[in-house]
Amino acid sequence: MRPENYQAKSHPPSNEYELNFGPNHPGIEGNYALRVKLRGDRVIEARADAGYLHRGFEKLMEGRLWIQNIALVPRICVPDPTPMEVCYSLSVETLCVLEAPERAQWIRVMQLEMSRLAAHLFAFGGHAATTGLYTNMFWGVADRDLILDRFEELTGGRVYSIYNLPGGVRRDVPDGFLERLAALLDYLEARLEDYDNLFFRNQVFIRRARDVGAMTREQALEWGVTGPNLRATGLAFDVRRDDPYLIYDQLEFDVITQQAGDALARNLVRRGELKQSIRILRQIIERLPAVPGPVRVPIPNPLAWNAPAGETYTRVESSKGELAYYVVSTGGDKPYRVQVRGPSAMHAVRVLEKLSVGARLEDVAQIMFSLDACPPEVDR
Amino acid sequence: MEAITNFLVSFPTEFPVLWILVRIVVIVLPLMLAVAYFTYAERKIIGYMQVRLGPNRVGPKGWLQPIADAVKLMFKEIIIPSGANKFLFVLAPMLALGPALAAWAVLPFDDGMVLTDINAGLLYILALTSVAVYGVIIAGWVSNSKYAFLGAIRSAAQIVSYEIAMGFALVGVLVAAGSLNLSDIVRAQEGGLLHWFWLPLLPLFVIYFISGVAETNRAPFDVAEGESEIVAGFHVEYSGMTFAVFFLAEYANMILISALTALMFLGGWLSPFQGSFMESWFTWVPGIIWFFLKILIFGFLFLWFRATFPRYRYDQIMRLGWKVFIPITIVWILVVAVAVVYKFPIWFD
Repeated sequence: MRPENYQAKSHPPSNEYELNFGPNHPGIEGNYALRVKLRGDRVIEARADAGYLHRGFEKLMEGRLWIQNIALVPRICVPDPTPMEVCYSLSVETLCVLEAPERAQWIRVMQLEMSRLAAHLFAFGGHAATTGLYTNMFWGVADRDLILDRFEELTGGRVYSIYNLPGGVRRDVPDGFLERLAALLDYLEARLEDYDNLFFRNQVFIRRARDVGAMTREQALEWGVTGPNLRATGLAFDVRRDDPYLIYDQLEFDVITQQAGDALARNLVRRGELKQSIRILRQIIERLPAVPGPVRVPIPNPLAWNAPAGETYTRVESSKGELAYYVVSTGGDKPYRVQVRGPSAMHAVRVLEKLSVGARLEDVAQIMFSLDACPPEVDR
Repeated sequence: MEAITNFLVSFPTEFPVLWILVRIVVIVLPLMLAVAYFTYAERKIIGYMQVRLGPNRVGPKGWLQPIADAVKLMFKEIIIPSGANKFLFVLAPMLALGPALAAWAVLPFDDGMVLTDINAGLLYILALTSVAVYGVIIAGWVSNSKYAFLGAIRSAAQIVSYEIAMGFALVGVLVAAGSLNLSDIVRAQEGGLLHWFWLPLLPLFVIYFISGVAETNRAPFDVAEGESEIVAGFHVEYSGMTFAVFFLAEYANMILISALTALMFLGGWLSPFQGSFMESWFTWVPGIIWFFLKILIFGFLFLWFRATFPRYRYDQIMRLGWKVFIPITIVWILVVAVAVVYKFPIWFD
């Protein structure tokens, strides 16, 4: 590491240079690296470099019993863990021809929407932080914490609840939980006004985020973009509505879309979805007490539970996009193969690389955060 | 006893150099303390704006936090990158801090309470604040790091463009006051809240302060630090005391800009109640208190901006400086000149 090793004259003269974004960089989510080649201020090439967070989830799942994997799956995506649990449970239920009781399905949807609220608050807070507005991030984290309090009350866990299992949920809703959740929703709805004033109506932010990382609907479809990022390009596709699972077909909600497909539109979609999630949760609070039944169907001895041979592909709408589990069973007590189709794997690698080209150096972090990618899920 | 009194009375004339040194220390020491507690105020105020508590562990309510930070930074190793020029690397932070302190020499705290009452005070300030950019440029350049270099280029371009808007704003003040001496500028604003220059020079006042924010590289103009893209910008390679000096310079500059804005647009040490029926109620308040209160207002604005504005993009900053601020200041200088020539009441009669 001597200065002479750095001498530029050994390279041909060039206006281009490379810059590392990560794996340890304040503008990048988690341990994830983006290597960008720049000419002046413009990115001409970007290469995503996952692998700093490889924990081998898919392989680990092959070595665990069907029920043990429940403790593993939420770790795949830290900010939005519940859809992982629910989706895996649904996969195993499909394989074993089980169906969770109706009450369990309502509770699962309640968790999913709570998780979506928490994840969206986290997501646009993170985006604000990439533009230097840390206030929004701290507000988002503080309000997310209130949701985590409700998760703790419901499930015993704040982030990884490990509450769903094939065949239902672990226990029923505690007394008074729904009232406290309703109070939280009132608070969050009033709080949205503050977020609007600070962030979504902030002219400086709007100018920063407009036209940043814009993609057309055709590009989005070609690159496999799903979730809020796809809806920001004007296509109203939402697994909750178009391929309903659990009891989503009994609930009223709008699919939020925006036309521009840029970072601003993606955030506005998330903001609209916050309102829709609150709306869904209010319906659940109203109707859940009248839903009868146990919250769990009897399951075989989990330690000797052999799922019938077969394969299943189950999808849910997570806060980041379409999340699916492809599970193959050969009739044993463990999965033969589990493949996670995570939205971030699409968004944070291919889409991020494509959208970064032509962007300014300042906007690379914005693009990554506006795609709301989740690095641990990129590299499973 | 008498000997001591005699010594004290004759001290300024007997030892003029020592006397100046004493006065410098009297200004610089409280200034450094103010800088330290300005960082504390920033962390506390922004903390409350961000629904958290800020520092609250070191000493009662965290009062000793800045001291602890200073001690920590003093004991840290100064790491000089192997590709860096050692001399310039160490010189750069001093170049940044020096002007921020030197500018206080001409700032009047009260009527007559000024280190050197020179007639070219405004020019001196303008010259010194321009020197500060060299610290940033040199730091970014000699660090031999891409992040630092990008930060330095951005900072240089930004400071140079805002320097122009700032200079034009000062020309407006100069025309309005008819003097380059800061004490005279304050005296020209005598007569209460409505007589201060913030009202007739409102566009210049706003532009001067915003340019000041840009000049100190503070949010929302902190592209030179650009945490989410170039990590810390020009001082990314600095550690220990060399970093602390950059840090001090930034906050000393913020206080300086606040003080200058207070002097030139909010009547410095003048009481806001001059000329109103409340004037007699506040005659016991020394002018220096009014001056400090006005500095606090602008200091708070610096922090408020940081908590509520995202960072501008680099080209947006440039556009704002060249296409908005400079034309407005030029037009307003003409307006002020006409008002002064025709002795427009109540400010220029």
